Amino acid sequence: MESKFTEAYPKAPDEVKQADCEKVSGMLDLIIDGEASSEEKLYFNHHIEECVSCFENHQKQKLLKGLVAGHLKRVIVPKSLVQSIKAKIQETL
Amino acid sequence: MSDQTGKQLSKEEKDARFEAELLPVLDPLYNFAYRLTLDEDDANDLVQETYLKAYRFFDYFEQGTNAKAWLFRILKNSFINEFRKKSKQPAKVDYSEVEGYYNTDDVEGESGVASTTDMRTESVQDLIGDEVASALNTLPVDFRTVIILCDLEGFTYEEMAKILDIPIGTVRSRLHRARNSLKEKLEKYAKSMGYNS
Ligand SMILES: [Zn+2]
Repeated sequence: MESKFTEAYPKAPDEVKQADCEKVSGMLDLIIDGEASSEEKLYFNHHIEECVSCFENHQKQKLLKGLVAGHLKRVIVPKSLVQSIKAKIQETL
Repeated sequence: MSDQTGKQLSKEEKDARFEAELLPVLDPLYNFAYRLTLDEDDANDLVQETYLKAYRFFDYFEQGTNAKAWLFRILKNSFINEFRKKSKQPAKVDYSEVEGYYNTDDVEGESGVASTTDMRTESVQDLIGDEVASALNTLPVDFRTVIILCDLEGFTYEEMAKILDIPIGTVRSRLHRARNSLKEKLEKYAKSMGYNS
């Protein structure tokens, strides 16, 4: 309201939104990996409350991480491996 | 790292600490090796080599610091410096196997009766896991690596930067590209199964 200067060239709402969306999509990994700062989290959460497409992107990215974390089967370590390691260490001392 | 003698450990102390602090990482380490080499024998060799090096350089390992990250770093360096060179086929990706998986309709029409029945008894969970593994295995090894470190092993960006010897910014961009790639492959699969992404 006060600043006449910024009001003189207001950005179109779409433009503003697009810039926000780009910023938010650049934060997606930080958010799902727990690497975002509290400021970033706040900004992010505020944005996805209002923006459906970013909300959906967030869901998808979480799902993707969950697929690897929760569904990728772990391979079983061969029983003989520990013994081989110990043997190898002793013989090459 | 010249005169960092610290306390010279007796062999007994060294062996005991080695077992207590480094051997518990065996499971994740072997899994990492397997995801890099895509071969159980190669994973075995790589893990043995890693522990041998860790034992030799154990004096440089500071007690109470991140043993897991330290071992992962040694393993990744061994993989790059020696293993890849030694291996006859540098990038072992079995595309035919992956392709076969996607084209199950073709298989069903011909001789794939046995494998189809196996597929039915397998749970949906297993199928998803297999699909994620297939998709992951087709990614370049650098992409596969960051996804494994981050999503499967839960390393932080900072730890990943140390393990991989790259800046955090590179960790982030690599992870981002790796995920886009993986997403693309899995979306293709989801569509073929009739899901809308
Ligand atoms: Zn948005």
